[in-house]
Amino acid sequence: MFFNSTAFAIFLPIVFFLYWFVFNKSKSTQNALLIVASYYFYSCWDWRFLFLLVFSTFLDYFTGIQIEKSDSDKKRKFWFWLSILVNLGFLGIFKYYNFFASSFAEMFNSFGFKVSPFLLNVILPVGISFYTFHGLSYVIDIYYKRIKAEYNFIDYSLFVSYFPLLVAGPIERATHLLPQVKIKREFNLEKAKEGFLQIIWGLFKKVVIADNCAVYANNIFDHYTSMDSVSLIMGTVYFAFQIYGDFSGYSDIALGVSKLFGIDLLKNFNYPYFSRDIAEFWRRWHISLSSWFRDYVYIPLGGSKGSKTIQVRNVFIIFLLSGFWHGANWTYIAWGAINAFYFLPLLLIKTNRNNIEEKAISFNFSSLKMICNILFTFGITCVAWIFFRSENIHMAFEYIKRITFFSFDLDGLKEQISYIIIIILPYLILLEWNNRKKECPLFDRYSGIKTITTLIFILLFGQFDIQSKFIYFQF
Amino acid sequence: MKKFLFYIFKIFLVTVLVAVVLDGLYTYIFMQSKNRGKIEAVVNSEAKKYDVVILGSSRANNHFVSQMFEEKGLKTFNYGMSGGHLFEASLMLKLMIERKYEIKNVILEADLNLSNEKMAEGIGSLFIPFIHNSTIIKDHFKNESDFNELYYIPFYRYIKYDGKIGIREVFFSAIHKKTNSQDNLGYYPLEKHKNGNMKNNIVNLNPLPHNKYYEEIKNICKKNNINFIAVMTPMCENVVGMNYFDKVKKAYPEIYNYENVVIEDKYFSSCGHMTDAGARIFTAKIIKDFFNK
Repeated sequence: MFFNSTAFAIFLPIVFFLYWFVFNKSKSTQNALLIVASYYFYSCWDWRFLFLLVFSTFLDYFTGIQIEKSDSDKKRKFWFWLSILVNLGFLGIFKYYNFFASSFAEMFNSFGFKVSPFLLNVILPVGISFYTFHGLSYVIDIYYKRIKAEYNFIDYSLFVSYFPLLVAGPIERATHLLPQVKIKREFNLEKAKEGFLQIIWGLFKKVVIADNCAVYANNIFDHYTSMDSVSLIMGTVYFAFQIYGDFSGYSDIALGVSKLFGIDLLKNFNYPYFSRDIAEFWRRWHISLSSWFRDYVYIPLGGSKGSKTIQVRNVFIIFLLSGFWHGANWTYIAWGAINAFYFLPLLLIKTNRNNIEEKAISFNFSSLKMICNILFTFGITCVAWIFFRSENIHMAFEYIKRITFFSFDLDGLKEQISYIIIIILPYLILLEWNNRKKECPLFDRYSGIKTITTLIFILLFGQFDIQSKFIYFQF
Repeated sequence: MKKFLFYIFKIFLVTVLVAVVLDGLYTYIFMQSKNRGKIEAVVNSEAKKYDVVILGSSRANNHFVSQMFEEKGLKTFNYGMSGGHLFEASLMLKLMIERKYEIKNVILEADLNLSNEKMAEGIGSLFIPFIHNSTIIKDHFKNESDFNELYYIPFYRYIKYDGKIGIREVFFSAIHKKTNSQDNLGYYPLEKHKNGNMKNNIVNLNPLPHNKYYEEIKNICKKNNINFIAVMTPMCENVVGMNYFDKVKKAYPEIYNYENVVIEDKYFSSCGHMTDAGARIFTAKIIKDFFNK
């Protein structure tokens, strides 16, 4: 069931109605309904993988309690590592086993040893990376005594399987979500309105921005060997907006849907393409994942403290892990490594926290510099996206090589220009820029006009092909 | 909660209103279009006289050279549509009759397309803008599974078939940008392709015993005193399951088998489509056999 499908358009109002009108007596009934709805939502993908979700929930619920109850460090460590290893074990088997098996086989083959790896013929369970990370954060937080274990199984289950965030995040924290599911939610008009507007904005980003850009990005990447340099550059820009519209659109819909049930989720995107340097970009892009790695990997490793070598090591670890989290492919690892290279100079000369405050644009040199910085950051991000989008490393390098050996074909270029995108991208950029201090550009001032315009854009330019899945579902 | 439901209702109402306005605007633009495709040209036309009207799929569109008929004094138009099925061919003929076309002969390419009765989305969707303006089109689509949505939900049809009748097509129709579909009196000549696929496997294809739309076309012709000529058109040599054409002949004895009139690969652009040279040989044979000219 996709957020942009008719099935979801029927599912959501039904759950909303039952939630506020039938199961609104207590938080237990509200939570029970949301769990049933979440399991139904998940089973629409593939009911067979429901057991994994249930098992993961049981495991972390049980180990969490055992960690808290244990009277010795040894026992605490046992339950902690049991949870970590089983969680990562599932993730490893389903997501990474084939990658490692074939990579090792390739390595041995290159040394002259004939090895044919045993590969698993399994599909990746939707959302496994997301709900595994939910569970991990919960267990780690209990182990380090940041939170108490949750004894109410219903409440804990909802934290893991809450349907708006189940298949593509944001990656929630127990400290943020659990307190909300532990109280009865009362209907809040403003929050519900915001949620509804956020759903509309997310839908716009998905079906208008992402799906229109996808047509051109796919065409250019699929036929990159016959494209001129300018078309290839445009291909990366199209993909940059495709993935932004796709993923942040999904996140907006998830946040909006959740607000309809009175629950706030973590903000996942904060207008990342307006970043003035790559450090700021990573504070604004997929925030729930970046902060997860920051809190559970980077800081425990020492973060930006310690010697330069340690700092460099930590930066590489976090970016490589982040790349690898996206999928078992060298392209994602390369994407992570490139971002590490972008980030390192800022860290080493201690300018990585220079751009924290929002600044307005005016007619002066400082604004010009800011615009140049934004464009430069967007440019280098696009270069990294080439690796993310390419099928393999060779393709990524070949793509870049073809850009650098400059060629220009006006007729070919004309084919890659879409007047629809010429209309919709400026609309997205202008609206987001002018409302960048708000969580959603449709909020507050001129909300009515902005909403109606966005609805018209959705009707006019939206792609409602059910086959156009969300990119992040594969992660 | 009441306020929220009212708020949702307001947004819903505005959305429906916008959809109705857009639906009307799109339909109006399509109603003015005459030079984009064969369908709009027929829908938005008035009575015409033809000696020969050609119907069918791309295997009609690329195989019957209209000019050769004209040279023999036969006023002809090739209404064959690439990607079309008999569903669309039948509807096209119904619309011509409704618009009081006077037609002496209909040549229908009836071979591979006898194997299904489904609408070809790419072509069938081009009729949908006119669904409220023509009872014939409405009735023709009545049995489609999503007819109610297409007919009653404003703008749904333009969203569903966005690739064919969406904003892009509306824009080009509004600026009257011409396509080449009506050039050469509807005939679309093909060239020889270096990498043209000269193999085909139709072993799993079977003609339906009583294809609804084939029978419809036949009956319309009978009712309107139109001479109905159904022919199978050539395919390249390297076809697995060539006995399909025998099966057609068995199920529909009245269909003339011209499959083997042109054989050599040099006359084919791809296995199912002849080049202009092949089409000319084939058309000459048809004119000679049926019009004695």
